[in-house]
Amino acid sequence: MTLTSPNPVDIAAIERELTQLWKEAAEPGTTNHAVTRALTLNLVAVAPDSFSANRMTEVVMGLTRTHPNRTILVTANPAGPESRMEAWVQANCQLVAPGAPQVCGEQVSIEASGASVAQVPSLVLSLLVPELPVVLWWPGHSPFESPLFQRAQSLVDRVIVDSADFAHPERDLRRMAELNQSSTYVMSDLNWARLTLWRELVAQFFDSRGLLPHLFRLDKVVIDYERDPRQPANRAQALLLAGWLASRLGWTPLDNSVSLEGDLVRIHMRRPAPTVGPQAMRLVTIELHPAPVVEDSMDSLAAVRLSATDGVQASFVVERTDDPACARTKADLAGMTPIARIVRATQREETDLLATELRLLSRDRTFDETLRMAGVFARGM
Amino acid sequence: MTDTAILDNPLRAGLRLGRAPEPCTMVIFGATGDLTSRKLVPALYNLAREHRLPAGFSVVGFARRDWSDDYFRQELLDGINANSRSGAADPALWESFAQGISYHRSDFTNPEGYASLAERLNQIDEQRGTGGNRVFYLATPPDSYHDIIQNLGTHGLNHAPGNGWTRIIVEKPFGHDLESARALNQQLLSVFSEDQIYRIDHYLGKETVQNILVFRFGNGIFEPIWSRRYVDHVQITVAESIGVEDRGGYYDHSGATRDMIQNHLMQLLSLVAMEPPVAYDANAVRDEKVKVMRAIQPIAPEQLDNCTVRGQYTAGSVAGKPVQGYHSEKGVTPDSHTETYVALKLAIESWRWAGVPFYLRTGKCLPRRVSEIAVQFKAAPLMLFANGPTSDIEANALSIKIQPDEGITLKFNSKVPGQASQIRPVTMDFRYGTSFGVASPEAYERLLLDCLVGDGTLFTRRDEVETSWALLTPLLQAWQAGQGQPPQPYEAGTWGPHAADELLARDGRAWRRL
Ligand SMILES: NC(=O)c1ccc[n+]([C@@H]2O[C@H](COP(=O)([O-])OP(=O)(O)OC[C@H]3O[C@@H](n4cnc5c(N)ncnc54)[C@H](OP(=O)(O)O)[C@@H]3O)[C@@H](O)[C@H]2O)c1
Repeated sequence: MTLTSPNPVDIAAIERELTQLWKEAAEPGTTNHAVTRALTLNLVAVAPDSFSANRMTEVVMGLTRTHPNRTILVTANPAGPESRMEAWVQANCQLVAPGAPQVCGEQVSIEASGASVAQVPSLVLSLLVPELPVVLWWPGHSPFESPLFQRAQSLVDRVIVDSADFAHPERDLRRMAELNQSSTYVMSDLNWARLTLWRELVAQFFDSRGLLPHLFRLDKVVIDYERDPRQPANRAQALLLAGWLASRLGWTPLDNSVSLEGDLVRIHMRRPAPTVGPQAMRLVTIELHPAPVVEDSMDSLAAVRLSATDGVQASFVVERTDDPACARTKADLAGMTPIARIVRATQREETDLLATELRLLSRDRTFDETLRMAGVFARGM
Repeated sequence: MTDTAILDNPLRAGLRLGRAPEPCTMVIFGATGDLTSRKLVPALYNLAREHRLPAGFSVVGFARRDWSDDYFRQELLDGINANSRSGAADPALWESFAQGISYHRSDFTNPEGYASLAERLNQIDEQRGTGGNRVFYLATPPDSYHDIIQNLGTHGLNHAPGNGWTRIIVEKPFGHDLESARALNQQLLSVFSEDQIYRIDHYLGKETVQNILVFRFGNGIFEPIWSRRYVDHVQITVAESIGVEDRGGYYDHSGATRDMIQNHLMQLLSLVAMEPPVAYDANAVRDEKVKVMRAIQPIAPEQLDNCTVRGQYTAGSVAGKPVQGYHSEKGVTPDSHTETYVALKLAIESWRWAGVPFYLRTGKCLPRRVSEIAVQFKAAPLMLFANGPTSDIEANALSIKIQPDEGITLKFNSKVPGQASQIRPVTMDFRYGTSFGVASPEAYERLLLDCLVGDGTLFTRRDEVETSWALLTPLLQAWQAGQGQPPQPYEAGTWGPHAADELLARDGRAWRRL
């Protein structure tokens, strides 16, 4: 049902409509299954266009299973010629198991264009379910530049963006790092969630007591990132991975640490001293290398190689295989049989990434430190 | 809980997969058996699939049959394809995982087999970076435990070389009575220390069982009513629909009390009834479990018929299929007195539980496979509503379902909408599958991972096993001596003998209909 009203949209009508919706859903005979209305959060989703709005509705539906919520999906076109605002409601229901009650969340969609866009924040505010956290999910190329974003910031507990979509990755990464330091809300990036498996596989090398000392001897890191020649480069994910390693291992960037040669990026850093003495200070180089794009791969990274070249040679590699659903890990230490294996590395659905971020309630300190470092790298580019 | 590698590895901070074990080798004794291919290896494979196992993780299968490495791997792969919750194995993943699997042929009694095992393990440490870390899994008939433990000791396999760790997992049954359980503990402890020993009770690996503690101590509203003041009684049911199948010979020497009560039901009882632990760590939790088990009043011989009921199934049908009686099962002596059903009424002598009976029942060939714990609250003290006597209004019940669907249900009374004030019980349901949208891992996955990271919270400590046997052994002896009513026949596919209903009816209560 669509409520199109000349201006302003009638809030009371929307709430009435929602109540009616639940009543119908609960009526015997409408469905074969009982319906459970469950709300765990307010999700304010901002779609860059109506095509994305449809895709995002799908994602939200999938989310109902784990995080039933009230979604307020906003599609705003401030450049639109006429000042217009429309809103309608729907229930998002998921059958979780045969015979079990359906779990339902609810969605209010708002489409605004022209001058009416300015009214969106106040409309959203009046539609929030009280006492539930407010999460702003803003995929798309330039969230931080939008005036709507600036207004919305003050309403929310958490902002979720996706740096894989950024139009100006370096600029936006920098901006995201700044906002994350100054804001009261928690910032999340779905691109960081995509890195979880890479981080897990890299970390696993060093769960072995015998290999752990080599972690502190690393002096070179090479990250292969996908580079589509038809589009501007997006190295956000590679920068996050680099930022993670550097911040975990206490590496500090040198002055003018970043150099670019075409698509090849070099970052020069200093590593803390494992020992005191003449050998104490060591340099580390992180390189980002372009690699061809692979369809259906899980994300935009192709490999990460860590090595210690000074003294005992050691190298640790995680790389994609010809099968895009698999990755290979290999630890190679001079004088030892190399240890290699194949692991599953499947693409994660957006719903799953979003659910992972929503599960974490507080700030992710590791992400904060990573982002700060990635912001420093981005500033040099 | 302590794993230094994780504490020291700075890359672990904030990783959501959480705990990760160090590279290690698991030696499975009895690797050609049913448990290995049906449960253990599918669980290990799923852990590997979910990136929970380190590269280099290795498995050595130890058994008597003349199998090659390749044949062994193929058997395990078939086992995964038939039994894994994630379906058939992914060829590339399996191939990589299988590289760490080998077969070691020997009899458990042959010392040379252990000498060559030690060599093999050292080789694996070198080739696969397992750093001297070992887990020995006793997936064998219990009469082999003695030989294996002794040989591990004489060959120095109880301590790993270098700074590696060594752990040993012991399957059920853990002893046959108090004396044999003590003897097994003594033998284990003459070779290993208690913190190396992991006595498995797979019930503790189940998600809802772990949730009992979270539910009780993570919510403010339940603990205050969790006592004699509000609770009328507690029922614990573990019902199996299957009979003894091909384990008749084994079962006939065991029976429901040894096979189920001593371990699984006593574990459930202690989790529901224990006091809050001072911390959620292995010893604090187990201290409280032991304490509450110690507070259970032993059943005196003259109380046998008041507090216990045994049963034995006769021919009948379960879920539409005809079933033969226990006495006709293969391996069972025709005049056997072994109980296939048992119901107990236990009293816990503590401030919290004095006067609150705990009714336990378990049996084979019951109508359905279902396990649950139900806390039955007292009825409202006063009938306020004019729709009949108090007894018509059901008391509140909280049930924690463990099998087949894991979940928690609260039953309470509500007004039927309309002018008249009619009251009807309604339920509030929480199901694991629905609320989290993820499949719970198999119990063995959880427990194997816990052991690999060195967390013993969900394993049974020495004093727990012995306390439980100390309580039940006098009962078993009295029955053995012919005291009390013999096992009462019940038709397969029914909820046990009538005497079990009377056990509760005498107290003005009834078993829940499940
Ligand atoms: N199966 C289950 O679902 C299950 C569930 C819970 C607990 N358990 C417990 O787990 C343990 C194992 O059960 P299971 O069903 O796997 O037993 P099983 O199928 O009978 O297997 C016994 C294993 O032990 C080996 N074995 C026996 N004597 C040996 C000897 N002298 N030397 C070398 N190997 C010997 C056998 O090897 P060969 O055949 O090659 O000689 C076989 O691999 C038991 O304690 C059981 O109570 C089993």
